[in-house]
Amino acid sequence: MSATELTPPEAARWAARAGLPLAGDRHGQVAVIADHIHSVVSVLRELDFGDTPPAIAYRMGEENHDAAV
Amino acid sequence: MRPYELSLAAAADAIRARRVSPVELVDSVLDRIEQVEPHLRAYVTVTAERARRSAREAEREAAAGRFRSPLHGIPVGLKDLIDVAGTATTASSRVRAGHRAETDSAVAARLTAAGAVLVGKTHTHEFAYGLTTPQTHNAWDRDRVAGGSSGGSAVAVAAGTATFALGTDTGGSIRVPAALNGVVGLKPTYGLVPRHGVTSLSWSLDHVGPITRTVEDAALVLPVLTGHAPGDPAGLPNHRPPSEGDLSGLRIGVPRNYYFDRVGPDVEAAVRRAIDRLEALGARLVEVEIPMTRYIQAIQWGLMVPEATAYHEKALRDTAGLYAADVRILLEAGALMTAGDYLRAQRARTLMRQAWARMLQEVDVIAAPAVPATAVRAGEDSLTWPDGTVESVSDAYVRLSAPANITGVPSLSLPVGRDRQGMPIGMQLLGRPFGEASLLRVGHAYERTEPARELAPAV
Repeated sequence: MSATELTPPEAARWAARAGLPLAGDRHGQVAVIADHIHSVVSVLRELDFGDTPPAIAYRMGEENHDAAV
Repeated sequence: MRPYELSLAAAADAIRARRVSPVELVDSVLDRIEQVEPHLRAYVTVTAERARRSAREAEREAAAGRFRSPLHGIPVGLKDLIDVAGTATTASSRVRAGHRAETDSAVAARLTAAGAVLVGKTHTHEFAYGLTTPQTHNAWDRDRVAGGSSGGSAVAVAAGTATFALGTDTGGSIRVPAALNGVVGLKPTYGLVPRHGVTSLSWSLDHVGPITRTVEDAALVLPVLTGHAPGDPAGLPNHRPPSEGDLSGLRIGVPRNYYFDRVGPDVEAAVRRAIDRLEALGARLVEVEIPMTRYIQAIQWGLMVPEATAYHEKALRDTAGLYAADVRILLEAGALMTAGDYLRAQRARTLMRQAWARMLQEVDVIAAPAVPATAVRAGEDSLTWPDGTVESVSDAYVRLSAPANITGVPSLSLPVGRDRQGMPIGMQLLGRPFGEASLLRVGHAYERTEPARELAPAV
């Protein structure tokens, strides 16, 4: 196990801190899937973002829920 | 030809010429549902009474010479994430038991105003979080997956139990089932079609769009969804793509990386044949290099996973046991992603959008496979590629779709043949933002070189 992989009790603690208490029988499965997701998304740490802003759009005065480019 | 077999364009012509009445068309589709739906399970709910009532109204208007749009009297199925006032939006989930939508979604309201007739709500992979739609069977082979998440919509259109349908697409959920069932799926430009009243999977990636029998049919539905009323003096007089098939002067990008990697041999051969056909129609083929491919899955997951979990936050705390196991575990694990990872995905999305904009200055349209493989047998979880790599079916089905979700560019999937087992193969056409007209023009030109496609056997 690498230093960044979650143990089942760590997964339970992280989930609880995120506001999602997990039943005891869920800790192991959630740790495995969370680790897999982490391994996929952590490749983005290679990128040099410079001043690039996130692509989340916020437009003043827009109240509807439609998507916006 | 029986009315349920008509494409939307043919049905619209027949209704306008008073050769077929909306009542005849809707009755024919409802009869077809009765005949094949037990084998397919494309629908959560069939709204037969409501459909017959709407058809009678459409018929009265037609008799008085009033035609609201090309969709007047045309039977439509809506993915069961799309609100229709007074009916349940189940999302094919036990979590939504007892649900009732109070108002129409924007797209449902526009379809009703255009005279379309709702025949039912179609199955989705639960809350659109999956690529197979396990309740539903493929229209060409009941032992194979429908694809997803808009599996019910694609199967209904392929089998003649809806003349057209709407789906949603967050990582291929319109284009994948369209390709796997041999029909046309259009994921429009991000933001072009309103999502108000449509259950979200991931706000950054969700799109609503049509699933149809032909490209021409998709061209008839899109203006209604975008709010271009046919009677509007400022609107386009005719939404059909140009009938001439000449593609002279058009530059079609053929990816030299990514889109043809780890693709089944029958899929690659069929798509390359279709691209050659586009060249024969006058298009100039230009090799393109797809940018940032190493980061596509990371961006897709980095956006979708935490956004899906956020949407379901309350239900996960209250009724987690009601979700299917595959969806529940993803939603739970999503709670453990950090804000830093999410922001990196959002910033990488900006970079990828910019890189695609540069690439799309060199070509008008990109042509590629829609899905690397055809429909797998139900229960198959993974694919093994000739290079020895093993890939989950859902990762494979999303792989070639995700770039258009991340960048927001429009993408049209259309059938270009079948594999040696007889399963349909889809080609994907990608264009510049708001460049739907180019995709529809190229897709229609290709279709005109082919004999009319038959409905799926569906038994």
